[in-house]
Amino acid sequence: MTIEFLDPTHENRFGNFALAPRLATLENAVVAMVSNGKKGTIPFFDTLEETLRSTYGVAEVVRITKSNYSTPVETALLGDAERWNALVAGIGD
Amino acid sequence: MSTTQHHFISRRHTVDDLSAAQEWFHSRKWSDGLPIVPPTEGLVAQCLDWALLAPDHLIGIEPVRERAITAEKVAINAVMAGCLPMHFPVVVAALTAMLQEPFVLHGATSSTGGCAVLVVINGPVRLEQQMDPTFSVLGASDRSTTVIGRAIRLVLYNLLDVRPGEVDRSTLGHPGKISFCLSEDEENSAWLPLAEERGVPHYASAVTVMAAGAPRQIMNEWTTQPEELLNTYVAEIKASMRHYSIWPGNYAIVIPPQLREHFNQAGWSKAMIREYIFEHARIHRREWADCGKGAVVADKGDREHAALPSPDDLLVIAAGGPAGGFGAVIPPWFGKTSRAVTIAIGACVDCEI
Repeated sequence: MTIEFLDPTHENRFGNFALAPRLATLENAVVAMVSNGKKGTIPFFDTLEETLRSTYGVAEVVRITKSNYSTPVETALLGDAERWNALVAGIGD
Repeated sequence: MSTTQHHFISRRHTVDDLSAAQEWFHSRKWSDGLPIVPPTEGLVAQCLDWALLAPDHLIGIEPVRERAITAEKVAINAVMAGCLPMHFPVVVAALTAMLQEPFVLHGATSSTGGCAVLVVINGPVRLEQQMDPTFSVLGASDRSTTVIGRAIRLVLYNLLDVRPGEVDRSTLGHPGKISFCLSEDEENSAWLPLAEERGVPHYASAVTVMAAGAPRQIMNEWTTQPEELLNTYVAEIKASMRHYSIWPGNYAIVIPPQLREHFNQAGWSKAMIREYIFEHARIHRREWADCGKGAVVADKGDREHAALPSPDDLLVIAAGGPAGGFGAVIPPWFGKTSRAVTIAIGACVDCEI
């Protein structure tokens, strides 16, 4: 006898995120980076900042750090977001 | 049988038999490795009917991934875990508590620190569901607490992708990730129940959730003095601060009957226990150097660190088998990054009326 059952997963019905529009170039761009605040991210972001500036011609890198690495970034830290061309967010440990 | 016709939005699958159902779930990582109960429409509907919830009832939203957690999906996972309809409201309450902002659900379930969700149950629901807060209370003491704890884990798996190596980035994890749920022994305790201490009215059933490390067992059968007994608990808490995390947060301690009797004889309440541990569970940062962490002592060696932000951050739980001078300390995941949350079962948080 067959068994019919219901799917237990989210089925991708919720929280579908779309990619932000891609930039044609980073030349003279303002790029922000969100650090989760963990110590090990500092050399990683230092290297990324240097690479963005020297290899891709980024004009300005804005470094912001969350106060709690387990929660979303505080809205207040995104106050200048309108002037950024790109934002890098990820996981660091 | 369900008397209500529900409209389910979940996709339906069909397999040949029970054995095929098991392989279906395991091959898709929809289970934790243990067998599941196939969540048929009838069984899921019975859970919803018991709790008087519609399938699309919103239990909460996990804010980081913006995932809505609905009663339908939770009921499906509860059935899979082995829950009967009567267990479902407890699962809903635990998830409601976990979805409150102070719990920091995403961080607590994804962290390399590898904590699990400790669920403590108070009130009449313990007796209705024949929960057993005595023998082996931290190790699958009864059907109800075991399946409720497991349902929480399966919801994390299937609705938030908190599977090992996916969102769950635990370096080690611990066995509580399978199920980490116990009830308090209110009938054999002179103390206020945990939930009542934390603001839930007397006689209401309630859950308390805490992002917790693995329990650490202590033993002291050689004194009847409350201070000495608590010094043993304090020693374990201080050990955790030294070799794991120095940061203050919620700790839970479990006190079984043999030790409770000594506190009762001396007239000690839970509040007095909390106060004593708050005052004594402290270390100096320089102690890190004794266990290989000298590199992070720096010039702050004389700084004193308390285990608890306040006495109220200690969860004192009366539970355990009748004999044995044992107890347990359950440390926090990571300081006060996540805070324990207590809510009444059946309470609606942020409901539209």
